[in-house]
Amino acid sequence: MLSAAAASAIPRLRCATRPRLRRPSARTYWPRPFSSSSSHVTPAPAAGAGAGELEPPDLTRLANAARISLSPQEAEEFEPKIRQLTDWFGQLQVVDLESIEPSLRAGTTADSSLREDKPETFDNRDAIVEAIPSYDDPYIKVPRVLNKE
Amino acid sequence: MPSILTFPFPAPHQSSVIPKTRAYQRRPENLPAGRRHAAASPGPPPPHLPPSPPHSRSAPVHRRVSLQSAPATTLAPGPATSSILSIRESLLSGERTAADITSEYLSRLRRTEPSLRSFIHVADAAAEREAVELDRRIASGEKDAVGPLSGVLVGVKDNLCTANMPSTGGSRILDGYRPAYDATAVRRLREAGAIVVGKTNLDEFGMGSTTEGSAFQVTTNPWDDSCVPGGSSGGSASAVSARQCVVSLGSDTGGSVRQPASFCGVVGLKPTYGRVSRFGLMAYASSLDVVGCFGSSVFDTATILSVVAGHDKRDSTSSSQVVPDYASELVSLDLLESKPLTGVRIGIIQETLGEGVANGVISSIKGAASHLEQLGSVVEEVSLPSFSLGLPAYYILASSEASSNLSRYDGIRYGRQVSADDLNDLYGESRANGLGHEVKMRILMGTYALSAGYYDAYYKRAQQVRTLVNESFKDALERYDILISPAAPSAAYKIGEKINDPLAMYAGDIMTVNVNLAGLPALVVPCGFVEGGPAGLPVGLQMIGSQFSEAQRVENPLNNFCHFIQGNLLRVGHIFEQTLQNLSFVPPLLAES
Repeated sequence: MLSAAAASAIPRLRCATRPRLRRPSARTYWPRPFSSSSSHVTPAPAAGAGAGELEPPDLTRLANAARISLSPQEAEEFEPKIRQLTDWFGQLQVVDLESIEPSLRAGTTADSSLREDKPETFDNRDAIVEAIPSYDDPYIKVPRVLNKE
Repeated sequence: MPSILTFPFPAPHQSSVIPKTRAYQRRPENLPAGRRHAAASPGPPPPHLPPSPPHSRSAPVHRRVSLQSAPATTLAPGPATSSILSIRESLLSGERTAADITSEYLSRLRRTEPSLRSFIHVADAAAEREAVELDRRIASGEKDAVGPLSGVLVGVKDNLCTANMPSTGGSRILDGYRPAYDATAVRRLREAGAIVVGKTNLDEFGMGSTTEGSAFQVTTNPWDDSCVPGGSSGGSASAVSARQCVVSLGSDTGGSVRQPASFCGVVGLKPTYGRVSRFGLMAYASSLDVVGCFGSSVFDTATILSVVAGHDKRDSTSSSQVVPDYASELVSLDLLESKPLTGVRIGIIQETLGEGVANGVISSIKGAASHLEQLGSVVEEVSLPSFSLGLPAYYILASSEASSNLSRYDGIRYGRQVSADDLNDLYGESRANGLGHEVKMRILMGTYALSAGYYDAYYKRAQQVRTLVNESFKDALERYDILISPAAPSAAYKIGEKINDPLAMYAGDIMTVNVNLAGLPALVVPCGFVEGGPAGLPVGLQMIGSQFSEAQRVENPLNNFCHFIQGNLLRVGHIFEQTLQNLSFVPPLLAES
């Protein structure tokens, strides 16, 4: 885990008055997870998360959502690191951000204009096609889509 | 014998009417309200605003740098010199051939590569062919044979697409992938005559600070081969530091050009967001990514910026601000007056000199600050109130955007595919097999931060912190022309030291991420050393300016007025570098030639 030197290097935030947070009831709103037969991982326990109000990350759900198959060993390895990071992110919860507008981006591209909506032919289509792993002209081949629900 | 020719800098372009000997000052009526008091300082009367120099156009074109001819001299300890100019002079005068210059760099590259491992792919045969072709065109008296970057070898970070070379992004999932096009920045370099010598190593998809995250190899620091070169553009930094190539391109999302520049003792530039097109840069975090560059001098870095910068219709976030000839504003040392930074106000960011920063780094930065004062500027400490919030906000935003951007690596249209019986498993297995550990972590983190019910708690709050960071920079940059800080809390550390402790590695980005949140430009110039390695480990000074302050003038496209920037980044960085005494940033491994 964190060494003392690293812990001291991480900025400590001033705590503003704790705003009342709406507690998201994550389990009710999330879609049903795909059943993954090969990599079943027990979800992380809900208690003891550093941020307090928020549920800790459920690695199975996240891996499914991100379409990354995690082996049980990998999940075990990732779990504490991810928990450590989300605890660290949780420090933003206690900062008073009332009435501050969120910024989508840096304010430096105010002058960017859109180009004309006119299609152009790309001149190197062959190279694109050559990069496709599984191609059967003119189709990109993929395996069937199984609906597991 | 050191193999880099030196060359004195040219006088500014003849048609420029910017007076060489006066302090640059803004006309008081053109200053924003908060700065008018600064213009009242005594000094020569402000220069009459010149008309646009002929070379300022919104579309990048070949620009000839007009030179005064002077004999090339061999390198003596002294300030950094322009390799680009010396190559150009050698080619124009016929003193050297492109083949000869290329072969010199390639033999140095081959000699040092087994230890450094800067390059994932070296295109030596192609480079030699291009050099021979250039020589043929010069010999046949072809008009315009020598472009602005002819004969200049460049390294390109492997997350920038190059049409005729593999582009892996440092990842197994793109192992063997050859893009169908060049990134705009690469295309512009090639059009100016540059020779792309190879693709440099990086942390996978730009995620990391050491190159240990590369799927292929770990690059070492030219100053100490047991130390990291920094990251994620570690290969680009080490290649320039070891003079394996003249200049290189990198990318900077949270410090990935500036921190390796500091660790390797080279100049690194992170341009204003939107200054350089991101078309062809493999996206990590689209609101934070920029294409940046490395050189062994500020002059060379400025030259590259002029070539790659400019609006690109293929990048809707690219800016239409005119691209000046950045290097032409950088005058020769003997033409500078004794206090060339008179009137420039510099703020040292207080939060970057405290707890957690190595003593050697603090003293190097303080030394740089007093050097800047001796040059005539006023240097004061300034506090940026939201500084420490930037780091978690950055990681939330970057991971979230990465989780979206990296969803394209699905094994279907390019890259490695792991076959499976159904589509979801194909995605899952291909990504599990092809993506590295750090990348997976950040994708999972980002997926978490963006999930239903968590958006308000994480992503939205990070965006709000971003507003705070923008405002506090804007505020400080109204009172100061430039803000300075270290580029990293330490010099280069040992390979393997931070690999198991993600938060310790992230903590090292504290100096750099806020600049990406605000989209501002920043230049890192080597300024000192700390103990370590055979000859010390370099430390870089980070200089941050307001948007588009790489240049001396910023044009307002809405009303055609332009205003001068008193302390523009490249000019201040160049003057600092040229007046730095008794320090040479050529790593010891080059002394053996």
